[in-house]
Amino acid sequence: MSSPFSSTGVETLSFLVRQISRTADGREIVRPRDFAASELTIGRSTECDIHLPDLAVTLHHATIRQTGPSGAEIVAAAGLPFDVNGRSTERAEIDAQRGANIRIGSHLIAVSREADSDAIVLTVERVGAVSDASEAKDEEHAFSLASALPGKRVMAWSFIALVLAAFLAWPLFSFFTNHETPATIAANGTQARPIAFHADEMWSSGKLSQAHAQLENNCKACHVQPGVAVRDSSCIACHANVHEHADPRRLAASMPQPNAGQKVQLAFKGAFNVPEGRCADCHTEHEGAVAMAPTPQKFCSDCHANLKSRLTDTAILNAGDFGTDHPQFRPAIQTSALPPVVQRLSLDARPIQDEGVKFPHNVHLSATNGVARMAQTMRADFGFGKSLACADCHVPDATGTNFRPVTMEQNCQMCHSLAFDRIDGTVRTLRHGDPAQVVADLKAFYRSTGPVRPISLGGNARRRPGDFAAQATQAQFSFASATRYGRADGAIRATFSEGGVCFECHRVIQPAQSGTGTFGIVPVNIPDRFFRKGWFDHASHQTETCVSCHAAPTSASAGDVLLPKIDSCRACHGGESSAKQVKSSCAMCHDYHRDGLAPEESRSRNGGRRGGTTEASRSIIRREG
Amino acid sequence: MAARGVQQLKQVTSQHEGFLRHSGFRWLKIALTISLLAIVVYAFDDVQPRPNGGSAYGYFLGTVGLLLILWLTMLGIRKRAMTTGRWSLKAWTSAHVYLGLSLIVIATLHTGFQFGWNVHTLAYVFMMLVILSGIYGVTAYAALPRALSNNRGETTQAQMLDNLRMIDRQLHDAAQPLDHRYAEMVRMSLDDDPFGGGAWARLTSHYPRCGTRRAQAAIRQVTGPNARIGDDPLEKIDVLLERKQASLSRMRQHLRLKALLEVWLYVHVPLTFALIAALFAHVFAVFFYWG
Repeated sequence: MSSPFSSTGVETLSFLVRQISRTADGREIVRPRDFAASELTIGRSTECDIHLPDLAVTLHHATIRQTGPSGAEIVAAAGLPFDVNGRSTERAEIDAQRGANIRIGSHLIAVSREADSDAIVLTVERVGAVSDASEAKDEEHAFSLASALPGKRVMAWSFIALVLAAFLAWPLFSFFTNHETPATIAANGTQARPIAFHADEMWSSGKLSQAHAQLENNCKACHVQPGVAVRDSSCIACHANVHEHADPRRLAASMPQPNAGQKVQLAFKGAFNVPEGRCADCHTEHEGAVAMAPTPQKFCSDCHANLKSRLTDTAILNAGDFGTDHPQFRPAIQTSALPPVVQRLSLDARPIQDEGVKFPHNVHLSATNGVARMAQTMRADFGFGKSLACADCHVPDATGTNFRPVTMEQNCQMCHSLAFDRIDGTVRTLRHGDPAQVVADLKAFYRSTGPVRPISLGGNARRRPGDFAAQATQAQFSFASATRYGRADGAIRATFSEGGVCFECHRVIQPAQSGTGTFGIVPVNIPDRFFRKGWFDHASHQTETCVSCHAAPTSASAGDVLLPKIDSCRACHGGESSAKQVKSSCAMCHDYHRDGLAPEESRSRNGGRRGGTTEASRSIIRREG
Repeated sequence: MAARGVQQLKQVTSQHEGFLRHSGFRWLKIALTISLLAIVVYAFDDVQPRPNGGSAYGYFLGTVGLLLILWLTMLGIRKRAMTTGRWSLKAWTSAHVYLGLSLIVIATLHTGFQFGWNVHTLAYVFMMLVILSGIYGVTAYAALPRALSNNRGETTQAQMLDNLRMIDRQLHDAAQPLDHRYAEMVRMSLDDDPFGGGAWARLTSHYPRCGTRRAQAAIRQVTGPNARIGDDPLEKIDVLLERKQASLSRMRQHLRLKALLEVWLYVHVPLTFALIAALFAHVFAVFFYWG
């Protein structure tokens, strides 16, 4: 390669520097300067050949040297780099023919070659502003907060996208990927869908009731189809044994005509395909993680407050509100023990019951008579107090709601003894509940079957000499039969008659006049529940004493119906919206679907059991002892 | 004379009736009536077992609230066309403010005070945030312009920026003979964006990375131990930086007040659309699942 110096000559080596500046109105001023030197200094110092008044440039920043007719070399002088064609470097070879851009600080030096002047041209221009503030700015925008925040439109669209994705698309995806149905949940239990967060739960308007808590993460347990209100089929998938309230036709007949407001509601429901009379109409859900609220009173009173006007043949009396519009209680009373007759009678009619037993409560509860004295003597064995108390006989059942049946063996026999004999310290008692056995035992006691007929007393034996012994046997047997038979008969009659041990408590059926047959007892029937259509939970009434409702201490006859009248209840209980101490809707005592179990409200109050708790029953046992 | 002055003053004040007291608080009265009515009906509406958005009255309030929200959003379109008269923009704005406030009552009653971690409460929360930002906006418009004008004095924004640019030029010129090391210090101030620092810095007027302050601190570290005063070019730089600092702090106060005046719209407007989206999801979910 030949040297450029030999081909062009030394005298032609030169730089042409054009320094461009601009006036305030943007006009360009070019100041050209010729340098007949092969090397130029570049820097902020005024002594430099190319003076760059730029703080980003050092006093002597770089040196540019011509290496040929169109070749040049730029070298950093203070160890600080510069940009050549956008690349940061401290040294670069430049071909002026092809051109190059050198950037130092805010200044741009464009290198080119001009053919006619035969020099390397360096065009120097300030391209950056003196300071950041000096740069051209959209003033209105810069001073506004808009320059520091993303735009409102951008934010609005982002929010819309975010909200729709998280709260619409995601739950929809979650719903459609859940393939459970009420039937599969009823069959496989509620754990089929993993217990985790499912996006469709974000649509839940509130926690489910405690009874349905396990369905919380499975919306499809009830909401089967999109856009379709919960149908009864969802409920029935699990609640298979719930029976109807009444014959559907009679139910329909008893419904009142809808008023204007209800008509509007019905129209809306019809328009949105929500059928009438769904389970969910009464049993509202998503009301919080508490016991499912009892059905409000109006759901009952809508029909029952004025039922008779629409269902004219019904035996059910109108009832609209426990406090103000409820008939007197009508318990099922057995008015005749034999033949058994049970009637629903109002307590206002002062019915007399016949349970087939004689039992004066007043005598037994007296604190001063022989009963009390006897109870005191048996204190150690039976835990009686100074006199008998209600709880000595009436023991709550396992639920605390009702009482165990009163029985002869458990509750009477310790005083009303059926003992009649003692053999070697063992007391023999008559068999309770079995009159034939009683008769047999008494006859046995008196040997009343008569002596066994001696074998020698043949029936049709011919009389022969020497029959004297047989005659003596005959005579003795006849005597024994006559004397001993008669005593048992009397004893039996005495037992079953006034003053006898049976007669004391029971009504006796006499043997027929003909002398055939034997004594019988009128069957005793003490009902376990008087109210078949209502419910009373004793466990919930522990704050009361027995006698505050039941007038037992003054009752002299078992014929007295000792149930309290409605006024007694109304001392504390009023209707759903009354000011009484205990607001009581229908659902507190009545159950819409079934009569054999405690109403839902009572059950949920007692910890979900179908009746009371054992704690409740234990505490009730000796309250009055 | 004095009497005429007072009369003139009266006229002036009546001419400057703002959107809040428009037409003798007409829309305030309407909004209060609506709210009161909603509360009274709510009190007498016996929903069992407890009030909720799914009752008849609940659906009614929800529909009213939804339509109201959509109408309130229309202000964004309506404000771009200024008219006068009964349906003037001022009347519209007045209604926007007061009916917007009545939404607090309508929507809260619609919830039946049942809240949870769900899309329904989300829509409610968005709505309340929009309303709260609106309340802030009305308050800011009432209080801040006076402070803004007090701070600005007689200068305009352009003059503030020009002043800064002038100081920058002087700094630039004064720094020309300096060593590279000192020139770099001055550049910390020059290269600092006076509008930088982000939204939070603007709202609080707290600029922890302020270049001018850092430049001044660096220069003072050099000049501090120097006993000679006056003949050091760095001293001149220090004085200029001091001036720039003062100029900046006034401008930053201006930026702060402006930001406080504008920031509510950055909550109010985007959250309105978030609210409409959540509202759509809310209504969709209700129709999807029903009762």
